[in-house]
Amino acid sequence: MKRRGLLRAGGGLVLAGSLAGCSSLVETRAVGVPPVPENRPDGVYHPSHVEGMDMVGTARSGDYALGLFYSYPHRFWNVNGNSVSLTEIDGDDAVHLMASVWDPETEAVLPDTGLSLEIYRDGSLVSQEAIYPMLSQPMGFHYGANFGLEGDGSYEVRLHVGAMSTRRTGAFADRFGEPATATIPFEYSEAAKNEISFEVFDDEAATPGAVDPMSMDALPSAFAPLESNLPGRVLGSTMSNDARLVATALETPPEGVGGEGTYLAVSARTRYNRMVIPAMGLAGTLARDGETVFDGELARTLDPELGYHYGAVVDGVESGDELTLSVTVQPQTARHEGYETAFGGLMGGMPDVSIRVA
Amino acid sequence: MAFDGDIGTSRRAILKAAVAAGGASALAACLDRASDDPVPTGDPAAKPARQHAWREYVRHDDHGNTQLPSHQILLYLTVDGTGPPSTDERDALAETLDALDRAYAWSHEGVLHSIAYSPAYFDRFDDSLPVALPEPTALSPFESPTFDRQDAVLHLASDRADAVLEADRALRGERDEANGVPVPSLPMTVDSRRTGFVGAGLPAQHQDAAGIPDTKPVPEVSPLFMGFAAGFRGNQATEDDVTIESGPFAGGTTKVIANLRQRLADWYEEQSHEERVMEMFSPGHAERGLVEGIGDNLGADSEIDQFVDDVESDARTYGRVGHAQKAARANRDDAGEVRLLRRHFESTDDIGSDQPVASLHFPSLQRHLTAFEEVRRAMNGTDLTEVTPAIRQRVNNGILEYIFVRRRGYFLVPPRRHRAFPTPEP
Repeated sequence: MKRRGLLRAGGGLVLAGSLAGCSSLVETRAVGVPPVPENRPDGVYHPSHVEGMDMVGTARSGDYALGLFYSYPHRFWNVNGNSVSLTEIDGDDAVHLMASVWDPETEAVLPDTGLSLEIYRDGSLVSQEAIYPMLSQPMGFHYGANFGLEGDGSYEVRLHVGAMSTRRTGAFADRFGEPATATIPFEYSEAAKNEISFEVFDDEAATPGAVDPMSMDALPSAFAPLESNLPGRVLGSTMSNDARLVATALETPPEGVGGEGTYLAVSARTRYNRMVIPAMGLAGTLARDGETVFDGELARTLDPELGYHYGAVVDGVESGDELTLSVTVQPQTARHEGYETAFGGLMGGMPDVSIRVA
Repeated sequence: MAFDGDIGTSRRAILKAAVAAGGASALAACLDRASDDPVPTGDPAAKPARQHAWREYVRHDDHGNTQLPSHQILLYLTVDGTGPPSTDERDALAETLDALDRAYAWSHEGVLHSIAYSPAYFDRFDDSLPVALPEPTALSPFESPTFDRQDAVLHLASDRADAVLEADRALRGERDEANGVPVPSLPMTVDSRRTGFVGAGLPAQHQDAAGIPDTKPVPEVSPLFMGFAAGFRGNQATEDDVTIESGPFAGGTTKVIANLRQRLADWYEEQSHEERVMEMFSPGHAERGLVEGIGDNLGADSEIDQFVDDVESDARTYGRVGHAQKAARANRDDAGEVRLLRRHFESTDDIGSDQPVASLHFPSLQRHLTAFEEVRRAMNGTDLTEVTPAIRQRVNNGILEYIFVRRRGYFLVPPRRHRAFPTPEP
């Protein structure tokens, strides 16, 4: 008996809860997952299916709040430099574990901390991995990986958050500089897992668009700030392979950035869902009357008001300037389905884009 | 063939005795013992003045690289009570170590050993130590190890599993003699006993431990679980280089011992040999095809010095950097000489549990302990994560994705003349 067959039989939205009573016969495997859609567009698209997720627990440690969530094993695409490779669901995988790290004071989700976890059962090691930063349409940025387990029972998950080396500014300048560890118990049952929603899309799959972000009380969202909420003078926005890049100029650099002048910040977010896009290499050129007045890297930076962004000090920004943005390294996050062709991704290409300052 | 006089000779009895001796590594060590030849006894007067003088007394390969003794044991020891050890305790320890010297030749066919003392040990005294010996600390932005703060660690090493196990048992009071010589037990409490192995064949034999995929990927010829040779002569400090030159501890050295858990599923299953070469050595090694198989073809030098200056450009070009390449940045003194003498060996110890888990015991000797800290920090590659987001805290950043530091301790190895409970100013 395969989960896919049952799910398909129902069509549309089918809850795995309909399997109640026979879950012990059901193996959660890749067979339940629709194939990767054919003719995917080169950009954000509506995936073939979306798994729901349940909370395992939350914890506080050091400067951090952590949440641990789980779902069915997922396929995802790993990104390393320019290389994008599909990680299929392994037959031994029992769950996809997702961890999110945020600042308990501002509820800002923190990318770039690094995260590893250990799984124990009765004091015995089940697994330990450095898990990968990921982007999914419902959740945005998180850390995730598939794990095998040893059947139903009580597990202990120890999460290790690394210190951030990303530049931090403002009230974040002296925070998130130490590692932290937290333990979250995980009572796993396959039957409970199979209650998690598993939604298959027939008509929308592979069309441009995205599934809605999910909301969970215990988990802050990984949204980038609304354009209207960005500090400074918003210079405009543009899109490169469905990464929306919004530029703003602050009169002075935030605390923690050396140099004097105007601070040019670019906030990158996914098309449709406005999820933060971190871990990208971004360079900018500012031209005025045919002369280049700035040409350099926009450094990955975390700021309480700007959010995670890419920034540099420039010698002023004036009306009529042309800002050209070049992605030098595509976002180094793994992608869940629907994001694997966007922002560089499988088909590559994040073209240079420009903003004419009004 | 018994490794001990008081047990039977059946395979089953040997297995049971090895298990009783503690630890799966001991068991395996017992199984691969090769010789019924007598173990050579020793002459205390013939021992070198340095406890860390091992190189002349072990095997070397055709290139002159040190082949560390196959079987090793670390006994972490605590002195009873507070304050300095008594004169009686000092005499008792001297007697035990002298007896060990009589029982075994100072050689890979006998037993090499050294005892080292922690900052916590020297804190028992009012006087301060004239050697910089800080408390152990976290050395990366992503680790939170447990620190080994026992008073002392006794390191035993031999190519003869039977010899090292018998010495260990005598020292722990489980038998009265070692190699036919009466050996009094150590006048300390054994807080933790750790075992391990190194050399071609042994890692492959132990690859059923957790952390290594079921596909049995560790090559038979590899001396280490990760599938490469290490410790090339040209990339190691000499014993002279790591020896303290002046003061009461002249002739001694400092010793860091870490224990790292190894998680090698992605190392072996997600990566090609070429990618492993990039991450272990450098992208340049892979590009030029310098490493065949486990890297024996490198001879006596990994040639890593040629690739140190490329580390930033490699990060940009390949989106990866090499472990050796990063570490070497800090592992050279002003004259270009190597600063650390690494003597690491493999284990299936999972400290605190009985589960066999792939791990690495990592003793490193250096004249100044700060040299170790500087090399370890260079190995973190934190600066390279700022060069490109393709290099992440632990991913594409040498071998950091696969190793997890669980323990770290700092110790002073006194010269032999001060090895029994030294005062800070002996």
